Amino acid sequence: MKSSNRWKNTVISVSALLITATPAFAQTDASRIAELEEKMSLLSEQLAALQSELSQVKTEGQTATAEEIQSLRTEVGAARQIALQATQRPNVMTSTTSTTHLSGYASADFISPENGNSAFTANFNPMFHFQWKDKILWEAELAFELQEDGETEVELEYTTIDFFLNDNIIFIAGKFLSPLGNFRQNLHPSWINKLPSAPPGFGHDGAAPIAEVGMQLRGGVNVGTNSKITYAGYVGNGPILEGEGGEIHGINAGGFAGDADGRKVVGGRISYLPFPRLEIAVSSAFGDAAVTEDDGFAVSGDPLRNYNVFGFDVTYQWKDFDFRSEYISQDVADSALSISPEGGKWETWYAQGAYKFANAKWEGVLRFTDYTTPHPDLSQEQWAIGLGYLVSSSAMIKAAYEINTGLTGEISDDDRWLLQVAYGY
Amino acid sequence: MYKQVFKLAAPVLLVVSFAMGLTLHPAVAADTPAVDETDAAQFARGARTWADTCARCHNMRDPKELRADQWRSAVAHMRVRSGMTGGEARDVLAFLQGGSDAQVGLATQGLAVAPVISDDTNAGKAIYAQTCIACHGADGKGSIPGVTDLNAGDGPLSKTDEELVRNISEGFQSPGSFIAMPAKGGNPTLTEEDIKAVLEYLRVEFGE
Ligand code: HEC
Ligand code: HEC
Repeated sequence: MKSSNRWKNTVISVSALLITATPAFAQTDASRIAELEEKMSLLSEQLAALQSELSQVKTEGQTATAEEIQSLRTEVGAARQIALQATQRPNVMTSTTSTTHLSGYASADFISPENGNSAFTANFNPMFHFQWKDKILWEAELAFELQEDGETEVELEYTTIDFFLNDNIIFIAGKFLSPLGNFRQNLHPSWINKLPSAPPGFGHDGAAPIAEVGMQLRGGVNVGTNSKITYAGYVGNGPILEGEGGEIHGINAGGFAGDADGRKVVGGRISYLPFPRLEIAVSSAFGDAAVTEDDGFAVSGDPLRNYNVFGFDVTYQWKDFDFRSEYISQDVADSALSISPEGGKWETWYAQGAYKFANAKWEGVLRFTDYTTPHPDLSQEQWAIGLGYLVSSSAMIKAAYEINTGLTGEISDDDRWLLQVAYGY
Repeated sequence: MYKQVFKLAAPVLLVVSFAMGLTLHPAVAADTPAVDETDAAQFARGARTWADTCARCHNMRDPKELRADQWRSAVAHMRVRSGMTGGEARDVLAFLQGGSDAQVGLATQGLAVAPVISDDTNAGKAIYAQTCIACHGADGKGSIPGVTDLNAGDGPLSKTDEELVRNISEGFQSPGSFIAMPAKGGNPTLTEEDIKAVLEYLRVEFGE
């Protein structure tokens, strides 16, 4: 009973609404029709004008053929398409979730030693980045180096997958540049190094570890308004020891996918920046290592021995001056039962000052290095003086002279001229 | 013995912090591209971090050198290297993308006018302190290599207003110069009035 009443009410009110609304519709319709009529007459006037123009053109015999018009149309269409794509491209680039970037660096060198033949050489290092959102980055670098015999040596410098866990922690897995010290991880690319050569002790089998395979955590935190602490800690396979004639020839810390000694190495670096242009850092690592190679042959079962790294580095920049210094050492303990019983320490330190002048187009550099190893023929003291011309901030031409003091008659005692063209791209 | 403990602890620590990172801070950052931000302060912070950080290991790379999308991975890469925090990396990215050519037009499209600026030297001073000081320094002499001294008598300020407004708006690099002045100092929210105001400030403060 009640519900049918409600229906009735609804029907009445709806029809009332309709009745009152109809005149309004009718009214707008009428005015729209008038408007349309007006437009129609305007259009037919324009059409007539066009027709007369067309016939005039026709009689003058200047008509474009249908094909010509068609081809013009397609051309305009294509141009429009290109213009559209061009304006849309930047959007696409920043709105996709992943990005790729190819970069790297190359150098061409000329080296002329005091005793020995001068030679040209060249190499390049391509670098790959693939990033997903701002959470994951894959980075990898290859090194292509031309050898004296014309062969090309290819090395995997690093390949890591980096997870940005939060604003202060990055988790890194793969083969990475050793986070110990500063030169190897941050300064060795030819467009960054202010001299054409690495300081003695920072090459392969030297005092500074080069790379590591394992896992790493790194990041930074701000303390106060202007200071900062950065850190890196890792666990990895560690180095191998290379024996030669009953002695350890060198500690090869180049990053290995196997762990012949079965023991991991743990280490890290902590740096403090009291203000942005001053960085002071300490590095350390320890673990075990064993001789796994002797005179080029694989060795197994040689006893484990302690392996330690210690490093200290400082960077200071003031206006156009740039000052850096770094100490780093690797050592292994003695081991009476080993085929190479005697351990030893490989250590090096350098101090470098550089100054940019003439509108930062030129840079002068002076560097002193003292490298000591258990092998007197490899130890070396070096003064290097250089001058760089900066074509751009990452392309430069460098000339340098090295005064080397080593064991008389050894290569380490030869002074050298070096010329280098470097480009980071 | 202590070494054994340490060696066990290290991988455990790795896993724990990994888990912590994922659970405590699920959102690393906004996924939206930084250029969508209209926050002028972010550009200022970015310029400052750039000036402070990006010449620590190598020469300053020019914001114009890479496209906006390329800066994304380059900055992520540099965050790993340098120990920048995520916040600093986002600021630097906003700044670099603002200064990279491809992005300037896009970033200025449909953006609101910068806040709280009236045109007198006070406004100019505020803009200078926010956007320009990172590279030009409080004394106008330049705080990083490659920035011209604004005080020099025959220096930049001897040019006409018209030319300077254009150079500040569109960016400027003198022939053979080391790095470029990014368009609007890398801050695309600056309006023409802002630029005139800051120029007036430069003339009062550093001009003769
Ligand atoms: C801790 C040292 C360090 C700091 C600080 C640093 N860089 Fe780098 N940068 C490097 C190294 C090392 C490379 C070369 C990478 C390689 O060879 O693996 C590099 C490479 C680059 C490249 C070349 C492309 C690429 O991604 O490799 C660009 C561009 C660059 N840096 C920009 C910057 C910017 C911008 C900043 C400031 C946010 C910055 N860098 C801060 C060490 C640093
Ligand atoms: C990222 C660093 C940076 C920022 C931020 C910056 N500048 Fe510059 N500016 C430069 C460099 C580098 C030059 C020199 C360029 C050259 O001569 O090649 C320059 C040059 C100039 C010049 C001289 C131009 C000429 O025609 O010679 C003026 C004026 C100037 N800047 C004003 C400003 C103002 C105003 C701001 C803030 C809105 C600002 N700059 C922000 C780097 C910067």
